[in-house]
Amino acid sequence: MILALLNSILDAAPPLIFAALGAVLSERAGVVNVGIEGMMRAGAFAAAVAALVMPTPLGVLVGMLAGAGVAAIHGWLTISLRSDQVVSGMAINLVMLALGTFLLEAVFNSPSSTPAITQLPLVFGHSPLTWLALVLPFVVHFVIQHTAWGLRLRAVGEKPQAVAAMGVRVGPLRFGAVLLSGALAGLGGAALSTATLDRFEHHMPSGLGFMAVAAMVFGRWTPLGAAGAAAFFAFGNALRIGLASSAPQLLEVVPKGVLLALPYALTLVVLSVQGAKNVAPAALGQPYDPELR
Amino acid sequence: MTLARLCLVAALTLAACKKDGPAPDAPKPAPKGLTVGLVTDVGGRGDQSFNDSALRGLEAWAANQKSLDGKYVALTAEERKASVPAELEARIKELGIKPVVLQSKAQEDYQPNLQLIVDQGADLTVGTGFMLENAVETVARQNPGSKFLLIDSPVLDAKGAPQALPNVRTVVFKEEEGSFLVGALAGLVAKEKVGFVGGMEIPLIKKFEAGFRAGVKTTNPKATVLVQYTGSFDNVGQGKQAAQDLVSKGCEVVFHAAGSDGNGVIQAIKEARAAGKAVFAIGVDSDQSHLAPEAVLTSMVKRVDLAVWQAASDLKAGAFTAGDQTMGLKEGGVTYAPVRIEIPEKAAVLQKVEALRAKIIAGEVKVPSNTTDLESFTAPTL
Repeated sequence: MILALLNSILDAAPPLIFAALGAVLSERAGVVNVGIEGMMRAGAFAAAVAALVMPTPLGVLVGMLAGAGVAAIHGWLTISLRSDQVVSGMAINLVMLALGTFLLEAVFNSPSSTPAITQLPLVFGHSPLTWLALVLPFVVHFVIQHTAWGLRLRAVGEKPQAVAAMGVRVGPLRFGAVLLSGALAGLGGAALSTATLDRFEHHMPSGLGFMAVAAMVFGRWTPLGAAGAAAFFAFGNALRIGLASSAPQLLEVVPKGVLLALPYALTLVVLSVQGAKNVAPAALGQPYDPELR
Repeated sequence: MTLARLCLVAALTLAACKKDGPAPDAPKPAPKGLTVGLVTDVGGRGDQSFNDSALRGLEAWAANQKSLDGKYVALTAEERKASVPAELEARIKELGIKPVVLQSKAQEDYQPNLQLIVDQGADLTVGTGFMLENAVETVARQNPGSKFLLIDSPVLDAKGAPQALPNVRTVVFKEEEGSFLVGALAGLVAKEKVGFVGGMEIPLIKKFEAGFRAGVKTTNPKATVLVQYTGSFDNVGQGKQAAQDLVSKGCEVVFHAAGSDGNGVIQAIKEARAAGKAVFAIGVDSDQSHLAPEAVLTSMVKRVDLAVWQAASDLKAGAFTAGDQTMGLKEGGVTYAPVRIEIPEKAAVLQKVEALRAKIIAGEVKVPSNTTDLESFTAPTL
């Protein structure tokens, strides 16, 4: 039972962990990223298509590039043109939803999925991306907390004017963070189409991108917190699934809809208890205008 | 003067009205061949399931054509043979009708698409799937002179109760009967445990579960049935996790009725087999064997194609009737896909399943379609 639960989490959590880390990177730099869902979709699609013509690990890299490519649009709109960050993110989600379906039809003449690809080979019974998802949160944590770039990244999300006064250019720094954010979201999407399934399926990522943003909030905008929250959401889901088959009478007491909505409900609770203002980066959502002080 | 003017206006108006189109009761020109239109739901062409099945009934079976790069080309004899299942070969005839197909990209497209097909002068307009229920009702009321076929749902009134429209035929399927047969097969293949993965926990999916459980109970009374509901039809990951859980608890055969989540179920079974477990998946709606030929034992097939072909055939024979139809095993509306995998004593196993099919068709076995009926279900002796 415990082992099955653990295996279930190890299989299901990686896409969410990657995407949540991506959300952290962008938002710590002061750029709201609700476009994670769309970036995941781009990554999932591009990875599956690329894996049709090249080895799957390279396909995963292409998926990351695609995520970064979509993030570049977000960066251009929000950093270069200083448009509303939430609106840009939502627009990206809508465009990617339509574009994925359109390309499926145009390229593969199918509304449902791409042809099957070779999955990533298993390492110790799990996808290599699973093991990457265990290591990456610590890497991102180290970069953000213990490198000069990470310090600037955090500062630019709190008080960009101060960073500018130190002679660091705010725009490129934020742009880099947004690109990395997109690459991680793309990696999350690629995990869906190369590990969870062996092709791109037209519903992907089925709301996982929004759950990743919720995990980021739940994890208080920190890499380890966000990854922990993602793992916790995966644990909750695995537990629900495990109980559904071994103790169905237990689930009859609790309405199942409540369990499905639990991650989002918990995020709301965290927001209301802590007050997001004290936790979120101070300059989050504000376009940087060098003429303002 | 004024009166004369009024008369003139009236006459002109009448004339203008006439120009707009033939009155509904005007005798039609000699039939040049019938046109049957079809509107897909958002799944569209190539969904390898519901819509493709409806399109097969219309394009391949009734019109003997296939769509290639937006144009219709005639089927070769081999293609037609591959399209029509062996048991229906004698029944399915080419009808010489002209197909018109419109795909829907969004829910908002249903009504305009249906109206467009009516405007093109189609003799019958098919709405594929329960999602088109509302649109079919509206368009059918607005065009009382046109005929409609709605698949997978009756026309519902404001309170959700079925209502009859004089120009609409609706077809629903006895999913529980097909599920019963795959359940019986699962019970014969598995020793101790079988699993079921449903999508949303709604009455339609409960029909699958009830029929499946009854089938397992009939052939393997000691077997346990473990059940999962994923709560969605669009989340591959949830389906995979649900099936992984069932496999880890010892289920040997897993049947899914979970839409796209089911792709995850089949994936989980495929991966479990690769890891050395002797487990099988059972697909749904159409033959899903192509997704994982070594892992998919069979599929519970809904013959949407037959329902569409039958309506077109009735239309041609002048025998099209409105009203609600139900297609079960007896009508050939549900069945299971050919078992291509080698299993122990395959011939004997399939013989037992076929015997059960005969009993259901003869009315000796009443398959439960909900949890309450399932509790009072007594399994027939084999």
